[in-house]
Amino acid sequence: MATTRKLLPWIAIAALALFPQVVPNPYYIHLLVVIGIYAIVLFGLDIVVGYTGEVSLGHAALFGIGAYAAGLLFVKAGWPFWLAIPSAIAITALLGAALAVPALRVTGPYLAMVTLAFGTIAFILINEMDFLTNGPQGLQVRKPVVFGHKVTALDFYYFTLVLVVLSIVIVSRILASHYGRAFIALRGSPVAADCMGVSVYKYKVLAFIVSAAFAGLGGALFAFSEEYIAPNTFTFELAVLFLLAITLGGRRTRTGALLGAAIIVVLPNLLSDVKLFRILSAVIALGVGAYAAWAVTTTRTTIREIAFPVAVLAAFTLFAFTLKEIAEHRLTIFGLLILGVVFYLPDGITGYLKSLVRKWKPGLLHEHTEVTERGDEAHAWAKSAHALPEGQALIEAKGVLMQFGGLKALNDVDLRVSPGTIHGLIGPNGSGKSTMMNVLTGIYRPTAGSVTFQGENIAGRSPARIALNGIARTFQNVQLFGEMTCVENVLVGLHHTFRSNILDVIFATRRCREEELAARMRAASLLAFVGLSELANEEARNLPYGRMRLLEIARALGLSPTLLLLDEPAAGLPPSELPALVEMIRKIRDHHISVILIEHHMDVVMSICDRVTVLDFGQKIAEGAAAEVQRNPKVIEAYLGAGAAESSDGEPQLAQA
Amino acid sequence: MDVFLQILFSGCAIGMIYAVIAFGYQLTFATSGTLNFGQGEALALGALVGLSVAGHVSYWAMIPFALIFGALYGIAVERIAVRPAMEVKSEGWIMATIALGIIMKNVAENIWGREDMKFPSPVPETPLQVFGVNILPMELLVIGGALAIMLAIEAFNRKSIYGKAVVATASDPAAAGLMGVNTGQVITFSYALSCATAAFAGILIAPLTLAGAGMGASLGLKAFAVAIVGGLTSGIGAIVGGLLLGISETATGFYISTGYKDVPGLVLLLLVLALKPAGLFGKSAIKKV
Repeated sequence: MATTRKLLPWIAIAALALFPQVVPNPYYIHLLVVIGIYAIVLFGLDIVVGYTGEVSLGHAALFGIGAYAAGLLFVKAGWPFWLAIPSAIAITALLGAALAVPALRVTGPYLAMVTLAFGTIAFILINEMDFLTNGPQGLQVRKPVVFGHKVTALDFYYFTLVLVVLSIVIVSRILASHYGRAFIALRGSPVAADCMGVSVYKYKVLAFIVSAAFAGLGGALFAFSEEYIAPNTFTFELAVLFLLAITLGGRRTRTGALLGAAIIVVLPNLLSDVKLFRILSAVIALGVGAYAAWAVTTTRTTIREIAFPVAVLAAFTLFAFTLKEIAEHRLTIFGLLILGVVFYLPDGITGYLKSLVRKWKPGLLHEHTEVTERGDEAHAWAKSAHALPEGQALIEAKGVLMQFGGLKALNDVDLRVSPGTIHGLIGPNGSGKSTMMNVLTGIYRPTAGSVTFQGENIAGRSPARIALNGIARTFQNVQLFGEMTCVENVLVGLHHTFRSNILDVIFATRRCREEELAARMRAASLLAFVGLSELANEEARNLPYGRMRLLEIARALGLSPTLLLLDEPAAGLPPSELPALVEMIRKIRDHHISVILIEHHMDVVMSICDRVTVLDFGQKIAEGAAAEVQRNPKVIEAYLGAGAAESSDGEPQLAQA
Repeated sequence: MDVFLQILFSGCAIGMIYAVIAFGYQLTFATSGTLNFGQGEALALGALVGLSVAGHVSYWAMIPFALIFGALYGIAVERIAVRPAMEVKSEGWIMATIALGIIMKNVAENIWGREDMKFPSPVPETPLQVFGVNILPMELLVIGGALAIMLAIEAFNRKSIYGKAVVATASDPAAAGLMGVNTGQVITFSYALSCATAAFAGILIAPLTLAGAGMGASLGLKAFAVAIVGGLTSGIGAIVGGLLLGISETATGFYISTGYKDVPGLVLLLLVLALKPAGLFGKSAIKKV
């Protein structure tokens, strides 16, 4: 099985290389070139749409900019083509950056809106700047002459083939690297990505720039392939077509992009001929009708559920057989196709096929790289960081005020944690413990007050920067990267250990490979530390709740923190496993990592915390050694009410809350 | 000086149209976090339906028809394109609303033709002279009408119980749902309102330009810029953003070239996002963990 999997791409390449010899029809050869070019654009677009989950409506414009940049440098500036193409890629990537840097500062539909505006403006500018671009008349770009040999359409076919294969290799390497993991992580849980030192903003921008570079390469090839470029190619419609292709083919696969590219290149031809269109819609109608009948009889779906799509399809077929002139309705058909794909084939053709395979033979799919390293204790821990002088606080919050509108979630709270200690943070629900966590890790910027970590004021810094400074955390409501395996989750925590840049990744340099191996070894060791070795290659979303919390600890330890914030680590664990958790937290402390522990299991808190701070209604009501705090009347009152503190027969103690 | 005043005034008129469309985006964005990427088509269809109706009745009597058509169109957009995508929490609504826009534009072309048509003006078409500035009575009507519909919706949201449901859904859909507000209905309603305002903008602007299936695309797009510049959460922001954009592009059209008049919009958009991502008047949301 594994060998067929490895052979398949080679067979495909060989078939494509032989194609022009078998079918020397220039029309088909040209069609394949265009498919290849679109595929290159889609590989890039998929990084943005499929991986980071943003929508770009500007890729037609970026494609056009690549085409015009290459064409103008080649024709007007007289640059050789081997210089014009990389320059076109660089220019497009640069414009992509200019677009992404502001647009991605906000989440939501902003990128779609901004790229749509950008696309329109780029179209207008190419039309208007006729002194440079020849305006609506377009630009003639002849194929280059290399070493006295005029490049033919066939030469260009092979050139494109090589570049498509190269693009697949590059994109796959990027996506399999720590960059790819960052892209998937930031979609899985943006907050957790930020708190693992993987800045969501930075990596979204990076994804968009890489994506723009591919659009630029596609555009440059397009200019030389068509030998003529005009602004009306790079319209809004093409941008939508690209999005349709990536959705229809299937996101997050190279095969899906190739398939999508083939469909959108062939589609206009199918839609220009009424007969062909009728046959096609009849085939689809029959197929869906048969499926509907089968699904209803085998009670896989109800008539009610399937009635609407079937009715729409019937109406569509009727429409197909009554219309006289297809050109007038081309856009309607196009729009209906998009609606159909968005709602009935949201994962595209490859996604649908995968779900079928998963049903029949679950073992056949390998969606994650298996990690086989067995970890050991020695590899789990980073070299211990510089020790702070005795007596200095590791982290010190002073007068922290966190106000949401009129509500003071934290009111003038001081917190001081000494290095090498476990510091408990307790209090009834809603007392501000998690808010404090969020202030310390930079998710909230405090309304007033300061937070000093290792002598530096960190209030107002971004969560990613604070994480890289050495504060790691887990989350009260689990924030794992659900679609990634356990070991991949920990590898995101280890993101900071990678020094290799994107060029290292593309060329798979030794540094890059060594770092990946070291990171995997350490990830496996961390999983072993929290006792999840057996589940290393399991997707995180399939874990039981208690295990998820342990995985969060392993991931946080990946950051090699100086301070670890644990938000209710015992929740979801069976009581029998609490001693092991206590032991684990002690071991973490013994490796010179200080811990702030939020926990409702008082026995856990009381047995391991060196000091305990108690919050109630956003204010600190007590602080001291565990036993002291336990006897503090204010604390008892906060937990059990005013009566409990007074009617004390013997010595009231806060044992369980 | 006269030229400057003229630019200022003309910019205000077109800017108010942008403001109304942007206001429409805000209505649905507040309740559902989504907006109609085919809003330009809602505007064009509103104008075209208005044009057909105006053949039989006066301009004033036509207004309710256009508003009702816009509302029905908004309901269709929400039901067909937005709700199914929101149920699976996907970004599919962007593609779906675009697709619906493409379809409706094509349908409009097949019904009303591809040529732009003259839209009858309800007021005299001779310009008034005020301080040496040429003012078309229709431009005054545009400004007045735009302000009127925004104020009407604002008043509805603040005073009526239905409006309170809208405001409640906007501030916390989950809590509003628990308090017995049918948030699904509120979202549908916000789409109806949104497309009705777009249709209204269509019949306001059509007598000044022309009516046609393609008239809305660039207006809808610029209203995006306005909504982002002003802030997706602020009504005042929409007006200020609309005026800023309207005046800056009229000025660019006059001083540089009409071909480049769309450029300052994008530059403004990128600048505002870089400096104040939530928009000039927007409030940045607090994320909860």
